[in-house]
Amino acid sequence: MAVTIPNTKPLNVVQLEGLVVLKIIKHCRESYPSDVTGQLLGLDQKGTLEVTNCFPFTADDDEEASAQYQLDMMRCLRAVNVDNNTVGWYRSAHLGNFVDLTLIETQYGYQKSLANSVVLIHDVSKSTAQSNLSLRAFRLQDNFMAAFEAKKFTTASLAEAKLSFSNIFEELPVQIHNSHLVTMMLHNIEMPNLDVNRLESLSTFNLQPSTQADIDASRPLAPNFDVLDLELDPFMQKNLQYLLECSDAQQQEQNNYQYWQRSVAREQAKMQAWLSKRKQENAQRIAHGQAPLPEDEVHTLFKLPTEPSRLDSMILSAQMHNFTKQLNQYAGPSLARLFSIQELQK
Amino acid sequence: MATKSDALCVTIGNMGTAPHQRPFTSHVSPVVLFSVLDHYLRREKDQELVVGAILGVRSDDGTEVEIRNAFSLLETDDGLDEEHYKTLYDLHRKVNPEEVILGWYTAGQNILANATTYQAVFKQDCAPFNPIHMTMDPEALFKTNGLGLNTYTAAPVGFSEDADCMFLPVPSEIKYLDAERSGLEMLASAKSNETRTAALLSDMDHLEVAIVRLQELLERVSKYVDSVVQGTTPPNNAIGRYIMDAVSVVPKIDASVFEKTFNSHLQDLLMVVYLANMTRTQLSVAEKLHLLVNTPNTNSH
Repeated sequence: MAVTIPNTKPLNVVQLEGLVVLKIIKHCRESYPSDVTGQLLGLDQKGTLEVTNCFPFTADDDEEASAQYQLDMMRCLRAVNVDNNTVGWYRSAHLGNFVDLTLIETQYGYQKSLANSVVLIHDVSKSTAQSNLSLRAFRLQDNFMAAFEAKKFTTASLAEAKLSFSNIFEELPVQIHNSHLVTMMLHNIEMPNLDVNRLESLSTFNLQPSTQADIDASRPLAPNFDVLDLELDPFMQKNLQYLLECSDAQQQEQNNYQYWQRSVAREQAKMQAWLSKRKQENAQRIAHGQAPLPEDEVHTLFKLPTEPSRLDSMILSAQMHNFTKQLNQYAGPSLARLFSIQELQK
Repeated sequence: MATKSDALCVTIGNMGTAPHQRPFTSHVSPVVLFSVLDHYLRREKDQELVVGAILGVRSDDGTEVEIRNAFSLLETDDGLDEEHYKTLYDLHRKVNPEEVILGWYTAGQNILANATTYQAVFKQDCAPFNPIHMTMDPEALFKTNGLGLNTYTAAPVGFSEDADCMFLPVPSEIKYLDAERSGLEMLASAKSNETRTAALLSDMDHLEVAIVRLQELLERVSKYVDSVVQGTTPPNNAIGRYIMDAVSVVPKIDASVFEKTFNSHLQDLLMVVYLANMTRTQLSVAEKLHLLVNTPNTNSH
């Protein structure tokens, strides 16, 4: 059963430690292209969810083994003073295709037992395409959770609860926080100073390609200009491809719904026909002085088919919405880059 | 590459020489640094130093080592908590089967007096290679400009099997991967903030930051060139040629050809944006309609 702690305030920001960010990036990158998950540990304080550590999950499908893994890991971490409260989980994604049923189900499970848990999505392909870290935090909204619990997703119930694809998830802003030691370390990783007077000619630069590579590799915090790349194709292509697949699936769902509607209409027509026939019979029987037959049998004879769940349809809509948003967001900087190139040519 | 010759002279050898004499480089991944510092931060009140294990991959001939991950170990009064170590290593291996134990780290001081005993513990797991010892000195972070990070390999001294080891320094460098780089930059942007926090940037903001930086660099270069022309700064051939190379990278394309490619690129982009927006409007209209539905169908039950 859900345990509600009396003074939990609703979350409004998620704060990650630097360590967590790097660990998540490392784990997600190493398991490309499959999706991986992991657990987030930390504390929930005054409306801020602080995530201080994390560990990856095995790809085991065996329930027991992975539960055992979790317990062992938590025990070992507690021995070294790491916060071992679960506050959520993370998952890797590629170009935004993360909205699906497993995500919702798992997050529902987490949120039911801990009211303030979040899911962090790290988008690997998007981070490399734009060289801008893509890390988003989501939780399920309360009215969606209520509907999911009841497992009723008919059009009527959705309209009542004013639920639609855009309010399944609520996105929380993410912040990064560093400890003092780490901040000191970041200050100390600096660019090496090339001694200018020793550079006699250009050849000292170019003759040793290793020097060049070393210089590049050892300036970790030097400005990174990968974001100024002009190339559109891979990102756009993949995105459009995903979008098309989604709309195909959505089309199928629509077809199902329409099929259901037509079958309902047919059943009702049959019911009406039967009912009118019954009425006629009854009229005849009354004319002959016999008791009329009941008309209620109509409901037991004809069963209306149940409405298919609209949940899948909603999920697909949310996914498509996500893709289109990504395309828009990508187009903005691309336009900017394009026009700046034009300026450069003049 | 020869190792730093501090007190010993190490020769560059081949497979015939003893392992500790072979050339060696180690690359450290940033995750390890953060992990070690975090462990040091969380130590018990009276503990002066912490111990942990480092994991990673080795190249085939053992000369290049990449340290990719680390986890912390417990220290009891008798030494290292072996069970804890074994459990953690097993758990890690389940997720990442290709990382092997490469050695161990300490944070808090430089090499311990009884480091040899710890070295022996890890020796079995690293066979046939020597375990690598990595130390990180948080004091060095405060006092010097460096990171206080040192890596060592052990060489036996003395005649008996379990004699003390001498720790030989090994060059190490911090190696980054592309995806990590963007994450690290994000973290680094937090260092100038007072509360040591930073929010994640949207794509446009990120582009803006990069362009501003580029402009600053261009400013500096043009100031330098101006001062050289005026004669206030002594000219340097290498830098001059470098600048010339950099500037000539901008391709000289015929204006009309450029117009054409520019326009076609622009049109592609705009078309995709238009399609995306159309899909979005479609979705919102559908959403509104769904909410309006008064379900005449279900009323007739």
